[in-house]
Amino acid sequence: MEAATHAHITFFLTGSRSREHLESVEGLDLRPALLAGYRALDELRYDFPLVLVANRPDGPLVQSLSGVIDEALTATAKGVDGERIRQHGLRIERDLRALVASGATGLLSSLWDGATSWLERDAEPSLDDSLRRIRAAIVVDGEVADCDAALPARLLRHLWVAVQARKVAALHQHLDRLVMKLTDILRADFERSTERRDASHLKASVGKGFGDAFDFDAMSRVLASAGTGDGFPEGRRKRIYQLLAVLTSRAFLPGPDAGVDPDGQPYKFIFGSCSEALDAFRTRMPAVIAMARAMAIAELEIDGQYRESRHDALFDEFGANGLDPQDLAAFPDYLVCVHAGQLPAAEHARLMEILTSGLPIKVLLQIDDILEESPDEQGALTAGMRMRQIAGMAMGLNDVYVMQSSSSNLFRFREHLLRGLQCRGSALFSVFSGASGAASGLPPYLVAAAAMDSRAFPAFVYDPSAGTNWAARFCLDANPQRDLDWPIQRFAYEDERHQKVSDDLAFTVVDFVASDRRYARHLADVPREKWSGHLSAVTESLSRERNGLPTTVPCVLMVDERNILHKVIVDERLIREARRCREMWHSLQELGGIHNSHAEALLARERVAWEERVQQAEPPMPAAIVTAPVAAAALVASPAAVREPERSSDEAYIETVRCSTCNECTTINSKMFAYDQNKQAYIADVTAGTYAQLVEAAESCQVAVIHPGRPRNPQEPDLEDLLKRAAPFR
Amino acid sequence: MSPLSATECLLQMCDERHELEDYQSGVPRWCTGCGDNAILAAVQRLCRDEGLRPEKTVFVSGIGCSSRLPHYMKTYGFHGIHGRALPIAEGVKMARPDLTVFVNTGDGDCCSIGAAHWIHAIRYNMNLTVFLHDNQIYGLTKKQASPTSPIGTRTNTTPRGSYLEALNPLTVTLGVANVSFVAQAVDWVPEALFDIVTAAYHHKGLSFVRIIQRCPEWMPKTLEPWLHDPNRVQLLHHANGLPLRAGLARVYKNQVEHDPSDINRAREIASSHDIIPVGILYRNPDVPCYEDLLRPDQLRTIDMKRAALDAELDKHTVWPREANLLV
Ligand SMILES: Cc1ncc(C[n+]2csc(CCOP(=O)(O)OP(=O)(O)O)c2C)c(N)n1
Ligand code: SF4
Ligand code: SF4
Ligand SMILES: [Mg+2]
Repeated sequence: MEAATHAHITFFLTGSRSREHLESVEGLDLRPALLAGYRALDELRYDFPLVLVANRPDGPLVQSLSGVIDEALTATAKGVDGERIRQHGLRIERDLRALVASGATGLLSSLWDGATSWLERDAEPSLDDSLRRIRAAIVVDGEVADCDAALPARLLRHLWVAVQARKVAALHQHLDRLVMKLTDILRADFERSTERRDASHLKASVGKGFGDAFDFDAMSRVLASAGTGDGFPEGRRKRIYQLLAVLTSRAFLPGPDAGVDPDGQPYKFIFGSCSEALDAFRTRMPAVIAMARAMAIAELEIDGQYRESRHDALFDEFGANGLDPQDLAAFPDYLVCVHAGQLPAAEHARLMEILTSGLPIKVLLQIDDILEESPDEQGALTAGMRMRQIAGMAMGLNDVYVMQSSSSNLFRFREHLLRGLQCRGSALFSVFSGASGAASGLPPYLVAAAAMDSRAFPAFVYDPSAGTNWAARFCLDANPQRDLDWPIQRFAYEDERHQKVSDDLAFTVVDFVASDRRYARHLADVPREKWSGHLSAVTESLSRERNGLPTTVPCVLMVDERNILHKVIVDERLIREARRCREMWHSLQELGGIHNSHAEALLARERVAWEERVQQAEPPMPAAIVTAPVAAAALVASPAAVREPERSSDEAYIETVRCSTCNECTTINSKMFAYDQNKQAYIADVTAGTYAQLVEAAESCQVAVIHPGRPRNPQEPDLEDLLKRAAPFR
Repeated sequence: MSPLSATECLLQMCDERHELEDYQSGVPRWCTGCGDNAILAAVQRLCRDEGLRPEKTVFVSGIGCSSRLPHYMKTYGFHGIHGRALPIAEGVKMARPDLTVFVNTGDGDCCSIGAAHWIHAIRYNMNLTVFLHDNQIYGLTKKQASPTSPIGTRTNTTPRGSYLEALNPLTVTLGVANVSFVAQAVDWVPEALFDIVTAAYHHKGLSFVRIIQRCPEWMPKTLEPWLHDPNRVQLLHHANGLPLRAGLARVYKNQVEHDPSDINRAREIASSHDIIPVGILYRNPDVPCYEDLLRPDQLRTIDMKRAALDAELDKHTVWPREANLLV
């Protein structure tokens, strides 16, 4: 074996780099070839930064800066000046993006002012005009947020506040209605009281103009003797006053009216730890139960349905077992933002407690670094393992809303974020911020996007309210080329002879790790003169288990800051992790119905069976059987297919279900013919009348459902004639 | 539909159950054999099976034999004036959207003197359940031709037979904007009548059910051909409409599958001549209800209402002192 190949294989197996044949990647500032185009993010139009819209409660709650500019340009960039305005709009967008990337924060309006004041100094006159028009067309305003470590919590808080504001407004409105109706009831009671019928009150109710026109004393005496009955029982009045007291004490609702808790602290709903949120939830539970109880009683009271004998006992026990998610749904939720990287065991336990008990607490579990290596550098290198465990466990609970996403994808997941925040019970948002890129000088957006694309941190949603099975609940759609193991992209470059070459490259988790400088020791740069056929793509190494000595060494294509192509080999530890990532991706795919092993096995079995049938030249199924007449199907499906019992023609009976309640028969003899619980006729007592009456009823029944049977009394007069008349009905 | 909360379940357990007798009041004064009896039985059964609370239920009618129905219900009722059942019912619903409001009206009441109200009620699409008792005659006033009397009907007002083609209440209703539910039943097929009445009750919006009703007193022969030949009654069924009941299907063999969301097909079916279609012709749950469109988004307290009323009245008040100043 050639010495260089030997050195490469040794590196692959052991991670030890021969200085003679391999170079360190440290200091080369390499990045995966597929990321070559993303050096200057500010130059690109993409989802970030975002505008957390604060002034449009009924519109979208979050928009991308480029979306905002596009909307404004659609409104303004028209006519002869159109192209000029468009160019200027895109220029200011680029400036804003750069401003935000350099750390500027604030409202869109103030950032705009900052960026444009700078521009206008040496501006062409038309620029001023373009900007003025575009600015006038921008209706939204709010904090501008870039894709950074703070984004997940910022975005979630922003949405949470909006969702809660709507919820609390609806609750207030509901409570206001109850209070108003209860007050009306008390007022009505008061109007009927003796006190109210007193002359001075009567006078006051007529108004000034005609105050002297009546004798109110006389009126009062008349009304007193009219005896409109007493007012409410004291118990009811007391109950209503108690309800009003509870329904008006709303200090524990978030919003401008929020009060302070018994310890004098303002009520909070957003917490930095699960324990704090759980404690707050539990402390406030009695107030929530009291409110829910008062709401339920008030509804009955308003409807005039409250019966002490029936309801008192029920409401004495109310909420002894807490409230179920439906009952809790009207009340505010809690938001917890925690970092998975610093989750002490106790916090982990409380998180599980929240999720398993389905409390209305929404948890943002953020991670800034998904790569973990055992501290002695000997064990496994894993990607996203901690988050997978927690998200997997949460999905196993079946009723928790679970969303996982890189922060780069959060804007596209905004509807899923909202759904999660609006769901009943708990929700888990597992988010990778991409902040670990700082160690390698990479922007968080790029790292977050790379984690998602490389399957190191796939995006998915599990929504228990979307249906009853995985097909309805689980969605993997956001991931690129989700049918494949790894997404494939075309990569074009110039070789040393300046020829254009292009290749399809898979973007794998190995590329993701390779872009992280902290793991440089798992990579080694192969000098150009040592490039040879034994360097193979990572996917090739992944496709087969190593049996014996490897013949090829996996390498990734990377570029340095001058965009010069490098081939970088990786050690086996990375390949092992890539394999694990791929397996986990396969499990997710199966959950998402992609290459589902059960379905594929079934399909294969059916195909074999079908082929066998075809070979035996069995005649195909007649089409008629396949499309069975719908009427017949409906008949079978009918739940009310009650068959009438078989009757003998000697028996007197009525086809009761067909009786149209016309009163004919019951008028002839109301003892013989009677109505059942559905007011349809049957023969109640055949001995209560004559055969002649049976025959007469049969003849008068317009729907002909009375069957007179045989006469019971052979002595009855005119039997022969009666039997003749009865014949058509028997 | 969202599942019931534990509280709602417990409260339901406490609800009072009612029997059919709880909805019955007095002995109907209709002629023996009158189809109105069957309609009464069906709505009483509906009230019982749906657990409607008598004090939350209203039957509104106009004038006619059929309009006597509210008297026989032990619920709230309003025996109105001729042709005005619908506007009265709309007023009740507007003031008290929490009540369940039914309307019973005759072919004279609805299609003749009340025709204008009929058209607009359909367009307003308030959440009412309307039963048109169509006996094709003015019954109460002893046999005068109504708009639905078949051409040639001899009556006191048309002794030589009526001259005009009958008006078809189904096609008229299906032609009005915002129509949301149209069905047809016949009084002599009680199972179908009950299913249709139930579906109408469950529809949110104005459900219009034309019930072909026998008047043995004045029109003893008109419906006989249909009574005696079950094949001239056509059962409409569909997965999105009514299922076919086995017992019915045995007697009524003429069955057709019809999707109630198809208004064009509904209009064709409604235009049938010799056949009486029975079932749901049209249903569109998405048409908004007028009372919902007008519902204030803000609570109106008594004081607010009083203030608004005062302000309105003040516009027309002559203030004596200011009046003096003018002279
Ligand atoms: C304003 C007015 N005009 C006329 C009448 C007389 N009138 C009473 S009932 C009726 C017709 C009823 O026919 P219909 O509505 O079909 O009811 P039916 O009796 O057939 O059930 C008429 C014209 C009246 N009561 N009021
Ligand atoms: S005569 Fe016939 S339809 Fe009338 S009540 Fe009796 S059984 Fe029923
Ligand atoms: S006149 Fe006709 S509609 Fe009126 S009660 Fe008699 S049968 Fe019924
Ligand atoms: Mg009539």
